Amino acid sequence: MTEAIQNVSQPQIEVENLNLWYGEKQALKNISMQIPKNSVTALIGPSGCGKSTFIRCLNRMNDLVKNCRIEGRVLIEGKDIYGPDVDVVDLRKNVGMVFQKPNPFPMSIYDNIAYGPRIHGVNKKDLDGIVEQALRSAAIWEETSDRLKSPALSLSGGQQQRLCIARTLAVKPRIILFDEPTSALDPISTSRIEELIMNLKKDYTIVIVTHNMQQAARISDYTGFFLMGELIEFGQTRQIFHNPQERSTEDYITGRFG
Amino acid sequence: MGLSSKTSEKIAFSLLILATLTVVGFVLIILGYIISNGYGTIDIEFLTQAPNRMMTQGGIYPAIVGTIALIIGSMSVALPIGIMAAIYLNEYAGETRTTWLIEMAINNLAGTPSVVFGLFGLALFVKYFGFGPSILSASLTLALLILPIIIRSTEEALITVPKEYRDSSLALGVSKWQTIRYVVLPAAIPGIVTGSILSIGRVAGETAPILFTGAAYFLPRLPDSIHSQFMALPYHLFVLATAGTNIAKTRPIQYGTALVLLLIVLGLNIVAVLIRRHYRNKLKI
Repeated sequence: MTEAIQNVSQPQIEVENLNLWYGEKQALKNISMQIPKNSVTALIGPSGCGKSTFIRCLNRMNDLVKNCRIEGRVLIEGKDIYGPDVDVVDLRKNVGMVFQKPNPFPMSIYDNIAYGPRIHGVNKKDLDGIVEQALRSAAIWEETSDRLKSPALSLSGGQQQRLCIARTLAVKPRIILFDEPTSALDPISTSRIEELIMNLKKDYTIVIVTHNMQQAARISDYTGFFLMGELIEFGQTRQIFHNPQERSTEDYITGRFG
Repeated sequence: MGLSSKTSEKIAFSLLILATLTVVGFVLIILGYIISNGYGTIDIEFLTQAPNRMMTQGGIYPAIVGTIALIIGSMSVALPIGIMAAIYLNEYAGETRTTWLIEMAINNLAGTPSVVFGLFGLALFVKYFGFGPSILSASLTLALLILPIIIRSTEEALITVPKEYRDSSLALGVSKWQTIRYVVLPAAIPGIVTGSILSIGRVAGETAPILFTGAAYFLPRLPDSIHSQFMALPYHLFVLATAGTNIAKTRPIQYGTALVLLLIVLGLNIVAVLIRRHYRNKLKI
């Protein structure tokens, strides 16, 4: 069963009895989880286990899916994000998301980063600073500072993904969700992103879905193992990897299936 | 089966290229015929004078002005409405039975003969709304005619915008409308412009819809407002070729008119292609 996390003063994200259906098919079954502030939480499990579906509940991207029905509560900083008075647009400003495939807009590097702040009404004279800061935080400033006006799509895949991270940072979220952010990247780009994620933990709460168990072990503080829509086990990463409580967790981690 | 894959490949390739050559061939023949016959007629006078001497002499200036007025009038109605309808259908409506019915209606509208649009325009705009035979009535009628083309091509352009753009914009806390306005529409502009090109060709070339709604057989003056009747190139051509005072004598004018009509459509197409290329380059690497 889910292992309670010790010394959590106030969790940033609390999920309580979350159930989700796509039409008739139940994709998430009674998920409960508490994610502390300024930590990295990795969600692992075989394809189709519900980990991506779960992470998309945290910024309500599942709202866009037809016939998707959700029960239960997701509290972010104590507030139920499925509550009646919640503005989804505001929620997503606070809970950013980086996707599996690097997906910059077909605009310049600068405009990609400035896109969110501009629309959210940031003063034009502050934009340069925001763009620079976001690119620096995403460790891509050195490579792009002399060509901010060139198209973002001219960057390499790994650079594009860091650009997407910078784009998310520019909106100043408090939580960042990563949905398999390195599965389309080469090993060198992957390690740069991993390093970046570990650095971002200082200022953000991070939840990352990953196929790559070594990645989860390397970068996360907490790990949740999903199987067939259930959260089988959740706890400190060290413990999940060295001393799993559930048989199926152990089987998955040791590569017996998945 | 008898044919080897190599032989069947060769036969298929020959048939395909033959079909293509046929199409290109006919276009070239038509163009060459009109250009060679109409070329001599076109001069400054032809382009800037009204017809005179029972339309056997003079120019076609009023018809050029009329056709351009129709293009501007119908496009300025049909483009915004068509694009907005397409955005609604593609981005907001969802796949309900009602949407399906609307899509069916649009498809049927696209297949409706243009003379029916003409009669409809006569009944609705000329008579019921009392706009009379005028640029206004004809433009609105033509706008209806090209609406399905614009909606269809805009929808197709919207569909090809990758879902990733929408998702990543929404995930930045950008509203749906802002996402459409700042990410989806700019990416769809090349496709929308293509639809507009087709529509301009239709507007410039259609005769039946304007026949009942305001095109005049002959006017000595230019239209002075959108409530005036007007001359238009395709109808002028039709008049000269079938009902003119002296069909044989006006033959050079007929070819000249056809050539001017072609050149206007071609010119507008080139403008549209340039716009499309400008936006494509902006989107590309």
